[in-house]
Amino acid sequence: MNSFSLKNSISNALYFIGSMLVLIGLWQLVTILTKNEIPGPVATWQVFMELMSEPFYDRGPNDKGIGNQLVSSLIRVFSGFGAGSIVAIPLGLLMGSSKTGMKLLNPIVQILRPVSPLAWFPLGLLAFKAAEGATIFIIMITSLWPTLINTAFGVASIPDDHKNVGKAFGFSTWKYITKIMLPYSIPHIITGLRLSIGVAWMVIVAGEMLSGGVGIGFFVWDSWNALSLERILVAILIIGTVGLLLDKGFNALQNAFSYNQK
Amino acid sequence: MNTNDKSLNLVDSANDFHKINSRETAISINNVEVSFSTPKGKFTAVKDISLDIKRGEIISLIGHSGCGKSTLMNTISGMVLPTSGEVIANGKVVKGPGPDRGIVFQNYSLLPWMSVYKNIFVAVDSVFKNKSTDEKHAIVNHYIEMVNLTSHKDKLPSQLSGGMKQRVAIARAFAINPSILLLDEPFGALDALTKGSMHIELLKLWNLDNRNKTIVIVTHDIEEAIFLSDKVVVMNNGPAATIKKIVDINLERPRNKKAIAHDPEYIRIHDELLGLLFDKFSIED
Repeated sequence: MNSFSLKNSISNALYFIGSMLVLIGLWQLVTILTKNEIPGPVATWQVFMELMSEPFYDRGPNDKGIGNQLVSSLIRVFSGFGAGSIVAIPLGLLMGSSKTGMKLLNPIVQILRPVSPLAWFPLGLLAFKAAEGATIFIIMITSLWPTLINTAFGVASIPDDHKNVGKAFGFSTWKYITKIMLPYSIPHIITGLRLSIGVAWMVIVAGEMLSGGVGIGFFVWDSWNALSLERILVAILIIGTVGLLLDKGFNALQNAFSYNQK
Repeated sequence: MNTNDKSLNLVDSANDFHKINSRETAISINNVEVSFSTPKGKFTAVKDISLDIKRGEIISLIGHSGCGKSTLMNTISGMVLPTSGEVIANGKVVKGPGPDRGIVFQNYSLLPWMSVYKNIFVAVDSVFKNKSTDEKHAIVNHYIEMVNLTSHKDKLPSQLSGGMKQRVAIARAFAINPSILLLDEPFGALDALTKGSMHIELLKLWNLDNRNKTIVIVTHDIEEAIFLSDKVVVMNNGPAATIKKIVDINLERPRNKKAIAHDPEYIRIHDELLGLLFDKFSIED
């Protein structure tokens, strides 16, 4: 690391700390204005430490540690996201590489994409006869669209220059897919995955409020029923941090696969 | 430079071979018309094109921008199929691209995610399905060496200069050993000095192969066309461009870039081509 980038990362860290201080300040202000109706940072911190002191305890189905809740939410998100991606990527490749495929599938995508994934929940219940399956199902539906659209767009935008190389040198279909189509569209696919995981992480909270059981979304709802606003605030901060980390992870993946920046 | 001496020797020994061999027709363009349907209706790029190109000849297609010279060349490569008429290359009607016709694209068309080496290897691997992996690697190394890029073989295209990218594209086209090479404004984006050395390198590669390859070059550079070619095909302005005239370049090979500029025949051809390309403008003025 040279001195410039070191300086840069120190200044970035300082900005981050400053930004957090602004957030805590505004939060404290809201607490004062609402006369402690909304718990302040200090009270929340105490509850946070309490929750983190034993994150993985398990005292029956309705009383589990915050770590357990988080892990089961993450498992659900990644199952749904994985299933969605397995469907979305090949379908996107197909859609992007054939004009007919694009014309046939695009209207379907355009109609289904704006639908809130929660609307699929009852269908999921019907299909899987269980809340667990239904939650994963809505996450799958959620993760479908951004990946599908970005993959299709990526493949459809392969420049003629690249396609001509395949034509001129007689590439087989397999060679075309592995040497031209995929390398060109991988950055687009990863962008789609990054958007998908972001939305999936947002939807899981609402999904678990519907499904109940274990999960960070259920934890929020359960805390509301127990009238523990501190716990809700802790959960909000944890959800935000995990969302940020997921996004950073996919961002790193994106950088690793963008051939132009190497 | 000993590489120059070597190529000069090869030039002499190749002369007779070239003369004997030049009788066979490599490419035959018969009454070709190319039109595209556009929202505004039918657009004819070129029409009434008939042209025979002999094996081992270097031909330049020259004309103003948009005159359809690239389109005409694309009918030889098979990237564009004629609306009417036919193109016969190596005795077969062209129905699409094929490995007997190597193409050097206008904008190099290297795959940006692959190193120089892999860009060439992927083409060699695709064309020579029956060769062993060792043989393929040997071919790639050979052509990378011929264009003096051995020390750059692991670089990505984005790390190369324009001239180097063009050398990769030329090496890739030669590496699949096509009998016909099609170059679409290959040196258009290069500075004059790089362009000059690329001309020499191209002729060197042609000589090393006993002047056996037929080369078609699309260009708008008169000096380039004369220096490289046996014949210059001058096209009319598009749309619906036709061949205006075919000018024979009867200059001895090997040609010397510096000396040729003072050759009276060169000056005469240069003037003739200039006249053919610019008469329209002078009348309108």
